[in-house]
Amino acid sequence: QLDRGCALHTAARGGLSSVSSQDVPAQRPRAVFHTSESDPAKHTEQHEGRLYNIPLEEVKAVFPHGLPHRFQQQVQTFNEARVMVRRPALELLACLKGSNLAHPAVRYVIYGERGTGKTMTLCHVVHYCSRQGWLVLHIPDAHLWVKNCKELLHSSYKKDRLDQPLQASVWLKNFKSSNERFLKEIKTQKKYIWGKQESTEEGRPLGEVVEQGLARVRSASDALGVVLRELKQQSHRGSFRLLVAVDGVNALWGRTTLRKEDKSPVSPEELTLVHNLRKMVRNDWSGGAIVTTLSQTGSLFKPSSAYTPQELLGKEGFDALDPFVPIPVPNYSPKEFESCYGYYLERKWLQHEKAHTEDGKAELQFLSGSNPRQLDRLAGPL
Amino acid sequence: RIMPVRWSRYNPSYLEPEVKTELYQKPLEELTEEEREQMELKAVRPIKAAPPTLSSSVFSDPMISKFTNMMMKSGNKVLARSLMSQTLEAIKRKQLEKYHKAPENEKETIECNPYVIFHQALKNCQPIIGLSNITRGGKTYQVPVPLTDNRKRFLAMKWLITECRENKHRRTMMPEKLSQELLLAFNNEGPVIKKKHVLHKMAEANRAYAHFRWW
Repeated sequence: QLDRGCALHTAARGGLSSVSSQDVPAQRPRAVFHTSESDPAKHTEQHEGRLYNIPLEEVKAVFPHGLPHRFQQQVQTFNEARVMVRRPALELLACLKGSNLAHPAVRYVIYGERGTGKTMTLCHVVHYCSRQGWLVLHIPDAHLWVKNCKELLHSSYKKDRLDQPLQASVWLKNFKSSNERFLKEIKTQKKYIWGKQESTEEGRPLGEVVEQGLARVRSASDALGVVLRELKQQSHRGSFRLLVAVDGVNALWGRTTLRKEDKSPVSPEELTLVHNLRKMVRNDWSGGAIVTTLSQTGSLFKPSSAYTPQELLGKEGFDALDPFVPIPVPNYSPKEFESCYGYYLERKWLQHEKAHTEDGKAELQFLSGSNPRQLDRLAGPL
Repeated sequence: RIMPVRWSRYNPSYLEPEVKTELYQKPLEELTEEEREQMELKAVRPIKAAPPTLSSSVFSDPMISKFTNMMMKSGNKVLARSLMSQTLEAIKRKQLEKYHKAPENEKETIECNPYVIFHQALKNCQPIIGLSNITRGGKTYQVPVPLTDNRKRFLAMKWLITECRENKHRRTMMPEKLSQELLLAFNNEGPVIKKKHVLHKMAEANRAYAHFRWW
């Protein structure tokens, strides 16, 4: 078995390595840290530390709203989307491949320190599931639903709840663009009345509910709730597999910065979006999986050193999510660091002449502490 | 008793701190005679405190540090440095996008290194001759006068910063505006180059008073 470490050091010639036999010989020799395997289903330990390409049309279709902002800027500058295959993602994919869909949905919680790649791992899994044909329910950042809300309407459905029409309509629009074909196939099982004249009959495609939510923005949160409930009830039949991907799940059980008209603070249960999402994340349905990420960066009233599930979720959240499969995401290993550094060099992102030297590389490794986000921020001005 | 260090005059026996790491990594045999003497002197003499701007990083650049200091307001070096790094990143992004869209034969002409662009832009903005006010017989004349290197650099950086602070829309961020101005100055266009040309023309117009200068 070839030692991957030595293969990297001899990669200065930049030729194709013989480790990955399924790499089709390209026109120009790609370097060792790339892999031409763009289907996440075929990623194995062999591909660990390498970057795989996602075609730009797929990026627009699969991730209308999921990718981190800096990664989107990088995709635009380099004209390609390259995601690194890392060990936590490979473990998650192996678990998903071997999961029995007749059993209740398994919950996976991706946690780790700041900037170690939790959101990118989630996006890798979402890409895999959308390639496999699952219905992906991707909430890009649950923290956006509990803070900075300009309009809070009182819900017409339940008396104490508060609606968020703007956030709900934005999410419905993105959901529609990524899951078009499912919305035509899945039918509603109940009659829903939206107002005096508007109602959706039983047996109509779910696309109509989404259209209703987008057209009448006041009822967008209720439309979202209806969509979630229908998907949950119908997923056990097996006609489609459901993936619930939530980024920043600790927002659902924390505190909010929103206030009602009488300046009293709003707790998360009083928000319709949060209430429905909590019901979705419970494991009382089968036929899919729930993959979530903890995030300290957008969280409210949590210290910046907190990163474990116990600290970020609090007692209530931990009990609600228990039992779950924890997946820690560490900083870059030396091999992953080499691969990221080589990719930046190849794409001419590191322009400083000293950045090409060994000293520069050692300094980058030391200053960033092999943290992906710090490396990205350091390599920006260089 | 607290011994003030920063702006007080050091005893002449204090030596400057040595930042270059290569000197320390060389084994004893390879050192030349002067370096050996220097090392022995350092063992007995005290050394001055290193200023915070002095860095042993391979990526540090004295011109960039000077520019960052000039951009700094009320001592907020953190903000000034982050603005500078965002500017360099913005320049790099713009140039890289242009590079990837350009056809093959033009790719070599596009400069992507933000440091090269920064230095060249500053060089292009430096005036060659300046004006100074000299009073003769009650009237003040604008007399053309040669400038030192330091003064040229200072004027170029000052013009760039004032231009970016004043002539921009309320909502544009400083890095964006600065990167725009630096790219224009790199191509010898833009308001800062115009200001330099205006100064040169004034100096040319006041040639007659050049003999008022006595230094």
